[in-house]
Amino acid sequence: MGADHVSTDTRAAESVQATLKSLVSPASERQREIRRIVALCIPFSILLVFSGVFPLTEMFRISFSESRLVTEGFTVEYYRTLVTDPYYRNIAFNTLWFAAATTVTSICVAVPVAHALEKYALPAKSVILTVLSFPNSLPGIVAAFMIIILFGNTGVLSNVFAFLSGQSRIDVAIATSVGGLFFAYIYSMIPRALLLLRGTYAEVNTDAEEAARALGATPLQTFRYVTLPQIKPGVIGAFILVFRTGLAIFGTVLILKGLLVWTLQIDRELAQGFNIAQASAMATVWFFFVFGFTVLALRYTSAEVSI
Amino acid sequence: MSERFQQGSLSARYGRPFVKLVLALTLFFLAFPVVMTFVSSFASDWFGVFPTGFVTTANWEDVIVGTGVGADVAVGSSLVYSTGLALGGVVINLIVGVPIAYAVARYDFWGRDWVNVFAILPLAPGIILGVAFLRTYPDLSTSGIALIIGYSLLKAPYMVMAVQSSFQSMDLQQIEESARSLGASWPRTFLTVIVPNAKTGIIAGSIISWTLAAAEFNFSYIVYSRGTPPLAIFLFNNITNASFLNAAAAVSVFFLLIALVTIALQIIGNRGAVRRI
Amino acid sequence: MSEVSLENVTKRFDSTVAVDDVSIDIDDGEVMGIVGPSGCGKTTALRLVAGFETPTDGAIRYDGEDVTHVPPENRNVGLVFQSYALFNNMSVLKNVTFGPKMHGVSKRERRERAEELLELLDIEELADRDPKTLSGGQQQRVGLARALAIEPHILLLDEPMTGLDAKLKQNLRQELGQLLEDLGITTLYVTHDQEQAMSMCDRIAVMNEGRLEQIGTPAEIYEQPANEFVAGFIGTANLLEGTIRDGTLSLGFGEVDAPETTVEEGDVTVLVRPDEIPVGDGPLDVEVTNLFYQGEHVQATAELPDGRELTLRLDRSRKTVGTGDTLSIDIDPSSVHVIQSTE
Repeated sequence: MGADHVSTDTRAAESVQATLKSLVSPASERQREIRRIVALCIPFSILLVFSGVFPLTEMFRISFSESRLVTEGFTVEYYRTLVTDPYYRNIAFNTLWFAAATTVTSICVAVPVAHALEKYALPAKSVILTVLSFPNSLPGIVAAFMIIILFGNTGVLSNVFAFLSGQSRIDVAIATSVGGLFFAYIYSMIPRALLLLRGTYAEVNTDAEEAARALGATPLQTFRYVTLPQIKPGVIGAFILVFRTGLAIFGTVLILKGLLVWTLQIDRELAQGFNIAQASAMATVWFFFVFGFTVLALRYTSAEVSI
Repeated sequence: MSERFQQGSLSARYGRPFVKLVLALTLFFLAFPVVMTFVSSFASDWFGVFPTGFVTTANWEDVIVGTGVGADVAVGSSLVYSTGLALGGVVINLIVGVPIAYAVARYDFWGRDWVNVFAILPLAPGIILGVAFLRTYPDLSTSGIALIIGYSLLKAPYMVMAVQSSFQSMDLQQIEESARSLGASWPRTFLTVIVPNAKTGIIAGSIISWTLAAAEFNFSYIVYSRGTPPLAIFLFNNITNASFLNAAAAVSVFFLLIALVTIALQIIGNRGAVRRI
Repeated sequence: MSEVSLENVTKRFDSTVAVDDVSIDIDDGEVMGIVGPSGCGKTTALRLVAGFETPTDGAIRYDGEDVTHVPPENRNVGLVFQSYALFNNMSVLKNVTFGPKMHGVSKRERRERAEELLELLDIEELADRDPKTLSGGQQQRVGLARALAIEPHILLLDEPMTGLDAKLKQNLRQELGQLLEDLGITTLYVTHDQEQAMSMCDRIAVMNEGRLEQIGTPAEIYEQPANEFVAGFIGTANLLEGTIRDGTLSLGFGEVDAPETTVEEGDVTVLVRPDEIPVGDGPLDVEVTNLFYQGEHVQATAELPDGRELTLRLDRSRKTVGTGDTLSIDIDPSSVHVIQSTE
């Protein structure tokens, strides 16, 4: 038993030594190639460690801290609060259903739009493309402002609805309600979904679609049986990425406030008494949920994340 | 006999108009508020259905010069400060992003797909990373260094993707091997042949990651403590504290910035990169 | 003097053997072709010579010196790829001077050398052009000039004409063949196109599934293929089974004098090239089953009396021949090549 241990240990040590030696003075072209790959990955790894892994680990540690400002002792108090307090459970529920609903809506809008962009002869196509991708570079706070313009108290659509329904503008203004927040979310999410789906659509085999039409399928049947199966991996991929985006939205909610979601509560923990341990616990839960969700989704679905 | 060529099915008749309607509504929804913001920034009042009192530059003056009350900082200093921070982020992105994009595009190695996923998917969003930074680098947050390294991690995926799209249009293996057979060492090949050949992707990636870093709100909001506010914080202060039309002018400044960037990208001609913003 | 040799070279990738115990000696100034179907290991063989792969076993020698572990940048090989892989960030002239620059040649000398080469290849007017704007043929010349500029030990050409259209390919083939002959540079030419190899190479190595099947001059390979694979891969082949007994080859449908090869008696496989079967007058009647018009001639499939198929080549004067017609053919003993005895 003991001898076995020694021999595996020495073997492991030998193989580590051999690897190191091949990195320092490679003899074959393959070893030189491995050295190059390592060299190319090092800068990114350093950044990942210093600005990603290390801070996230620190965040993870303080979320178990007994002291509020320094990492000290060990308690699962903050996690217990998250699980047992109905207040937090409610926030989690809100966050999830709202992100899911906006994601589904965005994808339902983005699929026909991507379809039109790929298949139809449209006038001024480059202008259309610019308009559709423009919001991708806007931060959430600007998306919120756009919704105020449309649905705020003096909003243009509020005026239209007020005129149509005969109610006062203030009554129909929905910018700061859940409805307004819904539109603000999809204002950011539609262009993102579109970006992903256009890449998918570009790879659709149009010959198969034309063959289906020639065989007598209606446009809807063609879409259902020929196009949809082809774009399915892209749609799933888009769903995963857009849902992640939805969970991460913060600036938009900070301005419109329509619904108390996880990210907004994280900010409140910090703003109201700098409860960094609780905020860290919430951020940790968020991180592991999204990380796990992404890994599982990429592993167990046919999703294509090509971006 | 006359039924041999029937009228199209329901979807043949109404499918296309329906899809076009969705497209038109989406365009309206996305573009209309942008136009209204820009237009109203030149108005003096907006109480009725449409803004009135054209054309005044008062709102723009308030934004550019600063009002001395409320959101009291002028846009200039925020813009300059954000430009600097975002540039710092871009420099780091170049150093880390170009090599890893090349590793993934050129070589085949164990775990390549996962390296790629890490390189093109943001590890954590701005707000989560912000909380982590607050705890880990509390002293750096005032100097802007925390913002720079945070921006570089958050925006690295965009650099990697833009550079990769350039690499994908090149036959990397043959180019690399040609250069090496001609006597260039591998580092020299990388620096004098590969990198210059991917110039368009690198420039596009720099512009994109710069813009997104300058526009990053969530991370900046959590980490920023005092001093000159970054551009996104400046916008936030205007939207929440300033008059509505001043906010419109501040947001319009930002729109102009994005428009300039879009034009710049189109001049570079890297359409793939424009699509990816 | 620059001889290049592969000595019992084997290259394994994980579980697959890409090159299996291959030995090839390329003489000074010789143009050696490697042909074979895709996946036969010919490209790996070239990459082993260039140094982009290190052999699992065996050695690569330049002028007798073992370079097996020398990295490609120190081997001084001229490499021309299928896509030419020109550097788009540099002008044509810069592309050509790149190699000499890496080898520390002075600025003036490398410019002179590049101009000389561009003139030799008749593309001196392209010197300041951007490679992206060149046609396929022009790019190939630039690629060649770039590879020659380092005065390489050996010139390696990897399918250099695959992307070009048929007419251009033919012109370039003649030019390139002439150029290689004039320069007298040791060359390794890898292609799947046996016709190109036959017309350009001094000797040809035929590879299949990693193994070297035969090496010899184009005529040897065509006329005396070592085995069925080589016979079938190079040109069109009729492979017939027969028996040799008492100096007579019996092919089932008839007999001819056994060819003057030292083959033991017994069952053999023989090769008869379609163009060596005279059509029109002979003792053997065959029925035409299929015709393929090929422009300069017509290829016909015909059925022998015993039901086996034979490929024939008809010249255009026989274009009135139709399916079902009967043709008389003759098989001349001198056109029968015994390629192996069937055990």
